Amino acid sequence: MSVIAAEPALIAAKPRSAQLRRFARRNPTIVAGGTILAIIAALAIAAPLFAGDAITMQPALRLRPPSEANWFGTDHLGRDVFARTVYGAQVSLFVGISVAAMSITGGLVIGLLSGYFRKVDAVVMRLMDGLMAIPAILLAIALVALTRASVTAVIVAITIPEIPRVVRLVRAVVLSVREAPYVEAAIAGGTPTWKILLRHILPNTIAPLIVQATYICASAILIEAALSFLGAGTPPEIPTWGNMIAQSRLFLSRAPWTIFCPGIALALVVLAVNLLGDGLRDRLDPRLARRM
Amino acid sequence: MLAYIARRLASTVLVMGIVAVFVFLLLHLSPGDPAAIIAGDNATAEQIEGIRKQLGLDDALPVQFYRWLAAVLHGDLGISIFSNEPVAKLISQRIEPTLSLALTTLIIAVTLAVSFGVVAAWKVGSWIDRSLMVVSVLGFSVPVFVVGYMLIYVFSISLRWLPVQGYSPIDQGFGPWIERLILPSIALGLAYVALIARITRTSMLEVLAEDYIRTANAKGVATRSVLLKHALKNAGVPIVTVIGIGVALLIGGVVITETVFNIPGVGRLVVDAISKRDYPIIQGVILIFSGVYVLVNLLVDLSYTLLDPRIRY
Amino acid sequence: MTTRRSILTGGLAAAALTSAPSIITTQAQPSRARTLRAVMHADLRVLDPIWTTANITAYHGAMIYDTLFGLDANFTPQPQMVSKWGLSDDKLTYTFELRNGLTFSDGQAVTAADCVASIRRWAARSGSGQSMMARVKDTPVVDDKTFRIVLSEPYGLVIDSLSTISTSLCYMMRKKDAETDPNQQVRETIGSGPFLYNREETRPGNRHVYDRNPNYVPRAEPPSGMAGGKVVKLDRVTFENIADEQTALSALQAGEIDFYEVPPQDLIDELKKDKNLTVEVLNKTGHIAFMRLNHLYPPFNNPDARRAMLHLARQDDVMGAIFGAQSKSWQACGSFFGCGTPMTNDENTDWFKKGQDIARAKELFQKSGYDGRPVVVLQATDHYLANPAGLFAAQWLRSVGVNVDLAAMDWGALVSRRAVKKPPAEGGWNIFSTTVTGITFSDPIAFTGQAANGEKSWFGWPADALQEKLRDKWATAPTLEARKEIAKELQNNGWNYIPHVILGQFFRNSAWRKNVTGVLGMPEVVPFWNMEKAAAI
Repeated sequence: MSVIAAEPALIAAKPRSAQLRRFARRNPTIVAGGTILAIIAALAIAAPLFAGDAITMQPALRLRPPSEANWFGTDHLGRDVFARTVYGAQVSLFVGISVAAMSITGGLVIGLLSGYFRKVDAVVMRLMDGLMAIPAILLAIALVALTRASVTAVIVAITIPEIPRVVRLVRAVVLSVREAPYVEAAIAGGTPTWKILLRHILPNTIAPLIVQATYICASAILIEAALSFLGAGTPPEIPTWGNMIAQSRLFLSRAPWTIFCPGIALALVVLAVNLLGDGLRDRLDPRLARRM
Repeated sequence: MLAYIARRLASTVLVMGIVAVFVFLLLHLSPGDPAAIIAGDNATAEQIEGIRKQLGLDDALPVQFYRWLAAVLHGDLGISIFSNEPVAKLISQRIEPTLSLALTTLIIAVTLAVSFGVVAAWKVGSWIDRSLMVVSVLGFSVPVFVVGYMLIYVFSISLRWLPVQGYSPIDQGFGPWIERLILPSIALGLAYVALIARITRTSMLEVLAEDYIRTANAKGVATRSVLLKHALKNAGVPIVTVIGIGVALLIGGVVITETVFNIPGVGRLVVDAISKRDYPIIQGVILIFSGVYVLVNLLVDLSYTLLDPRIRY
Repeated sequence: MTTRRSILTGGLAAAALTSAPSIITTQAQPSRARTLRAVMHADLRVLDPIWTTANITAYHGAMIYDTLFGLDANFTPQPQMVSKWGLSDDKLTYTFELRNGLTFSDGQAVTAADCVASIRRWAARSGSGQSMMARVKDTPVVDDKTFRIVLSEPYGLVIDSLSTISTSLCYMMRKKDAETDPNQQVRETIGSGPFLYNREETRPGNRHVYDRNPNYVPRAEPPSGMAGGKVVKLDRVTFENIADEQTALSALQAGEIDFYEVPPQDLIDELKKDKNLTVEVLNKTGHIAFMRLNHLYPPFNNPDARRAMLHLARQDDVMGAIFGAQSKSWQACGSFFGCGTPMTNDENTDWFKKGQDIARAKELFQKSGYDGRPVVVLQATDHYLANPAGLFAAQWLRSVGVNVDLAAMDWGALVSRRAVKKPPAEGGWNIFSTTVTGITFSDPIAFTGQAANGEKSWFGWPADALQEKLRDKWATAPTLEARKEIAKELQNNGWNYIPHVILGQFFRNSAWRKNVTGVLGMPEVVPFWNMEKAAAI
């Protein structure tokens, strides 16, 4: 073997698997949370391929315990709980992600504008205070009860009270970054406002927003369950873990699988999202990262 | 300081005004109203129309809003469409249970959460830290009503240690009062343990990295003293902020808990009112809730001056 | 160290102590042993049984008000507040005399003037009342205890109307209360009935409190339904509002409540095994679940489409979903008047005998020229019947290729939306489902759903001239036998113009602690007189 051939071997990077293992050891929460979520999301997407029929009611088969034919048993209307749990992942994740996406986007835009332009700030903050002062769940119940139950209504109802909190977060970042010398320099240099917002201020908001997004997602999935419990959630025809649990609550002792199967799925996803958020925050927050 | 308080109170009024308009529009612009519910099943469309006219629900929106606003500014929250009782009286009858539940829940949640957070921060990176965080997040991941039903099943029906439901006013004995609040407080409190524990841990970690902590340790100050006297107090500001946010969320959580455990509080009052479209109650209660929320936030901000002498208004 | 926590704690405690003065006043409480705590099928919100036709308000009415006549356990009208009455030979004048000892809870004696005013207010709202008033010329007051009803033509249902058990019931109020516009709520709760409404201890939305009326003079006969002596054997009855079924059931099993009117029905078999509970059907005429069709707009403005629904609905589905397929609590029924009632008959029920016929339904929908537009089904997700009924309506319709817009909402939204006469796509509707007691369903005059005078009828607004003629004929028929014959004609026509489709007949069990006895079974109302509570078990 020639010496020349040996050199590239020294410069070559560490094998991928070793890199991943090191990442996993250092960030167990991100890995745990992320993996669980990825698996559930994959199952949700693949639902039509393997889950079965989640809608057809067969009263003759109601409340059957888990068996060969129905892996998770049947509910009080004879519907297959396994199919509904898997399809439920679709809707629950859709609700969680939509609420997170919409509230982050809305909050970001409003927060940026409000934090940067003083005149807008006063008005916007009072409006946001007003919105935050209304208890979120009452607002959601009222919105859904007064229009009609649909996934869209539930998403909008949960998003609206979340926006003010995101606005506060973004605004706090904007206020602190705005005073930074490099931003002052940019303004003095004549950089257009939109460029300043986009290039200098926005990047500082990404990290906390990502973390916040995970919390909002977890919270939205739980609020959907609470709304279904109070009768103001998604239409019962559409399976979501929340309304599966809510509709089966009379059968806690008689047919516990109707509650535990969606309940465990719900807890698992919320736990995963929260772990992911915690891990990301530990990683992305520079002050904490130093300590790890 | 006083000027600050005055300014804040002024903006409180403004905020409540915004809330009032928002809620009023929400209710009145949506389809449906109490007339059909009042008329009952055996009534005809004509009869529903008649009731609607009598209740003044047919009048133009600005007229209705002005009527309500004028009354509120005189301290009159209006009369419930269904029960004919003044809204203020209905609320005052139901406030004690809600406050009791909120109080006991806060005590349980804050005690558990702050302890978890402090210990987790102290033993950061260890299995104690990880398991405490996972346990508290788990409490946040299961819906409150599922926890509630399970608690009832175990402690009330199987073990018969505690009553199933209901509320006993405090002036009828402290024992029965606290007996009926234990399960609901735990069910509701678990959800907030995660929230507060997390922030406590983070905040403590930041403070523990500070120089003065290193100095205290080097001086040989007892760990407990370091943690509680020096670190926790300085970590207090974000913790208290989150507790303030928690109070707002508590109002929402109270609604579910009151339904499961049949506690006759303001949460149940307003949920029932929403399903019956009893506008005066809905408007009155939300107005009061928002007032409470804003005042709590003011208290939280004022408490900063006690925790952090650098903060002055 | 003062923390926010201690500030908050102190403030909350102070607020709690100062905000509930009424609880602190000491009052002699009736013993637990003589207090009955009941959870009813709905929360009592409206206190005026004329302003609303809600059943729970009729229950409240039965507690504090009294009626001129009452139906006994065989549904025969018996005099209650009336001591004697007579009909003139020309069958046009009824004379009524009140019995002695009747007083309102404000101390005033009940007079004929009070009764006349109450009848007029009731008649403005009740279907039976309206039918009667259309034939009434005058209601003169003869003296303090006597009044007359003078008809313009003979009408056989006067006593039946005054004793009706279908909401609104003809409760007697004071003249000044009865002179309130029927579109406005009566604010007072002064009645002459066996209980007194305790306003101080009542908490709306939480608990309604009724105390025994010591000044009530019951009749001498034994109690039977709404007739006979209303002897109260308890000191207090409370209506508790426990919204959560699971919680209410647990409370009953733990002895924290004594009477649960409608426990979760598919747990009945288990409840029957509980040695501490009595489980029984109180309303032996049951309830009829039915699906109402909107005659104003396509597709159900076409009779073929309506006929398709008769062949499409499968009673086993909806009933099985609520009660369990094997349950004895329900039966399929094909009669326009419910099953087991005096008017039940077999006319025009081929569709029922054959059962669900998907092919025929498909054929009929095509024949009706169905154009594919979505059928709006109103589904109240918090209503035990409307919820599964909506889901099944969608399932059945989809199986014959009909597009469905399943509109999920709460009951409050449903009752508002069903009153809307606009096209379904603009806020109206095509189908909604609800229930009515068997005894009301079987009464062509008391049940507003039996009227077919177009836009003036009940929701659905069917128009059928023959139906109206036959109803009139039924009302003016001289004997029960004659009415039964006319009922056959009504049913024949009914299943031709099809105002609604039956989803099943069912019987709901109530449950109460074993130490409660003397429970009277009655449809539409739960009487609380005669009930006793033995020492706690």
